[in-house]
Amino acid sequence: NRMKRAKARHKPCSLKELEVTISELGLGYNSDETVLFRYCSGTCDSAVRNYDVSLKHVRSMRKIRKEKVRARPCCRPLSYDDDVSFLDTGNRYYTVNEVSAKECGCV
Amino acid sequence: SIVSAGTDSAATSRSNPCLDAAKACNLNNNCRKLRSAYISTCNKEVSATELCSRRKCRKALRHFFDRVPSTYSYRLLFCPCKNQACAERRRQTIVPDCSYQEREKPNCLALRSQCLADTFCRSRLADFHTNCQAFLASCSRDSYRACLDSYTGLIGLDLTPNYVDESFSNPVLSLWCSCQGSGNMEEECEKFLKDFTENACLRNAIQAFGNGTDLTSSSK
Repeated sequence: NRMKRAKARHKPCSLKELEVTISELGLGYNSDETVLFRYCSGTCDSAVRNYDVSLKHVRSMRKIRKEKVRARPCCRPLSYDDDVSFLDTGNRYYTVNEVSAKECGCV
Repeated sequence: SIVSAGTDSAATSRSNPCLDAAKACNLNNNCRKLRSAYISTCNKEVSATELCSRRKCRKALRHFFDRVPSTYSYRLLFCPCKNQACAERRRQTIVPDCSYQEREKPNCLALRSQCLADTFCRSRLADFHTNCQAFLASCSRDSYRACLDSYTGLIGLDLTPNYVDESFSNPVLSLWCSCQGSGNMEEECEKFLKDFTENACLRNAIQAFGNGTDLTSSSK
């Protein structure tokens, strides 16, 4: 189990996908229509920049104290999928944008 | 489709082939994109008085049916329904509030004249009359496909047809027009309208398609 967890932790940042219903997206729409939800997951260990190293160091010298800073890159969408339209349970159409990731990266 | 095929008997009462068709479309990039394109166009309010741009909506619909393979589009349009929720979803496929209905129902012959004045619409209507001939023995299994093709070819034109309501046991297709005010052309008008409302060839073709998709989706 620990092996499995360690292995999963080392997967680099990439695009994953899952079939979910519109209702399950939690956007407040009620529809049984299924869509492909793509999301970004994985580590960004190999994407550490000099910026991150420096920031960490400067912070450790207590030169940055009050602000919230992030000294590690983050696996996030670089772009989003096209709009998704669906019919809800009240037979009304809706269109939502930027629901699903298209491309991921360490930013 | 592997998942849905495994749960046949338990879900029969709740099964919704039109919802399955929407899922199939959503999981295909091209279909989802073009479906979303026409839905958002047909659903976009233009002004306080104008619900939508019918012209743009119909154009986007034509785009969808021209560019999306019929494996996806016909499943949405001709899904076989056993309950109202399914049939209402089927009726909603073309966003009828914008693409089909109007405040007034024009006279059917006037609508036909409008179509005949346009070369493209005229040829599509001729196709429909040829391929969905209700009174000819020639409308058999072999020509069902051609009939569905030419019916679909009319969507987005002046003669956009649709299901009239959410009836699932006896679905009726029609145009948004009536034969009131036809004068001495009343009979001609009724005859023209019946090519949609009482077209056995079209009805059989849709039914056969419904049975056919059931077979292919469970065998895959």
